[in-house]
Amino acid sequence: MPEGSAALQLNVGDRVVYPNQGVCRVAAIDVKEVAGQKLTFVTMRREEDGAVVMVPEGKIISIGVRKVASAADVEEIYAFLRSDSDKADLDWKQRARTNLDRMTQGGILGLAEVVKGLQVLSELRPLPTKERELYDNARHLLVSEVAAALGTAEANAEDSIDIVLFPPGRERPKRTAAEFARPGGEDEDLDLDSDLMGLEGGELDLPSDEEPPAEPEEEAAEEGAEEEGSEEASEDAPKKRGRPPKAKPAEEGEPAAPKKRGRPPKPKPEVTAESAEPAAPKKRGRPPKAKPPEGAEPAEPAAPKKRGRPPKAKPPEGE
Amino acid sequence: MIRVVTLDPFDDKQLAKFNRTLYTAFGVGSEHSGSAEVPAGMSEPLDAEKLLDEVKGIRAYKDDKVLLLTSRKLKDRELPSGKAPTTGFARYGKDRAVLTIAPFKDLETGYKAIARHALHQLGTLWELHHCLDPRCSMYPPWTPSFNQGDHIFCTFCREKSEQKIRLAKS
Repeated sequence: MPEGSAALQLNVGDRVVYPNQGVCRVAAIDVKEVAGQKLTFVTMRREEDGAVVMVPEGKIISIGVRKVASAADVEEIYAFLRSDSDKADLDWKQRARTNLDRMTQGGILGLAEVVKGLQVLSELRPLPTKERELYDNARHLLVSEVAAALGTAEANAEDSIDIVLFPPGRERPKRTAAEFARPGGEDEDLDLDSDLMGLEGGELDLPSDEEPPAEPEEEAAEEGAEEEGSEEASEDAPKKRGRPPKAKPAEEGEPAAPKKRGRPPKPKPEVTAESAEPAAPKKRGRPPKAKPPEGAEPAEPAAPKKRGRPPKAKPPEGE
Repeated sequence: MIRVVTLDPFDDKQLAKFNRTLYTAFGVGSEHSGSAEVPAGMSEPLDAEKLLDEVKGIRAYKDDKVLLLTSRKLKDRELPSGKAPTTGFARYGKDRAVLTIAPFKDLETGYKAIARHALHQLGTLWELHHCLDPRCSMYPPWTPSFNQGDHIFCTFCREKSEQKIRLAKS
């Protein structure tokens, strides 16, 4: 048996962490011949359920397999969780990308960053389903690694983490979106709340029957302001985001009916005296054959059709 | 099957109500499966971990979850990051949990809070982690608002527990 992995110095019986899978124990390090090449494989068995994975020794580092964190690392994790760290990015795409990197390559600190970031974000608003699952996975991996590092039960490891995240006797604070704003101001446009507010101006293009009714007083005030407003005033006014509002048609007698979406209804036939009687319900299927006019001689019943090839014409006799 | 084993005397009617609550929450049968003795030499406050390891005389099948119910206090656990207030204890994914009704006098007095703690401990047995939702029973139990909440799970925890129970049955 080879001595172990050159890069990580793995030996049989070592505990390692496979990214996104959890704590594994090295079960064997074997040389196997694959496609004519002799490769060294590290066989790892996941402690949680005994699942086995074999990894070529050369891929160990690139996959991100690492040794289980030490007790000193766990102390650093507690300090990190206790601190008021950077807030999660409010742009979900950026956040998802960062969290994915942290889960695969970030080590135990990466797991703690995902847990802390999503926990703080949940103090602003409830997490969407995918992120709730990600939070649960990250928490599970973090708890199992802390338990392995400290040699304690997982329940104790989880409680030790949560005592830091949810200190006893204190409720979680309510966060505001302003707390998540980046100092550079680059991400201001990525703020979901402000985005949604911007969309309300008309980019959502809601059907008119779903649009909330505008308050009459506000409308009147706006109209008055538009009439009085000079060009300077319109220049000074802050630019509104989104599509400019459509020009209102000149008001005539009745207000225009709200636009309905979808196919327009078929025009109804005009009701006349003849058509006043209720039409007989349409019969489905083949229409009946036209009856012969009365008085005409009834035609002889047609001979039943013979099936098959028609008989050959007989040659004329007498030749 | 959830088996409630008492370490101290409890009223049968209150226990029946308690079992109905557990049945409603998890959708699996729950019953009072007799009583057991606290191991000799253990004094109040009880060491929860030691109690789970040493208590004897409990009959259960492999996929049963046993909840030990006591009126005696449990000792707070000393953890690397601080002291954890302990009203119950369960090992993640295992089959036994312990729960104290202290500081309440009986089951009826603090029924809502005790049921919520019971759901939390049984949830741990079904591999649920702590939850972010303060309304969920898997929220950390030492938070001030925990005892005021209802004995329910959030959607995520309920679905996860149902999935785990289905897996255990199959």
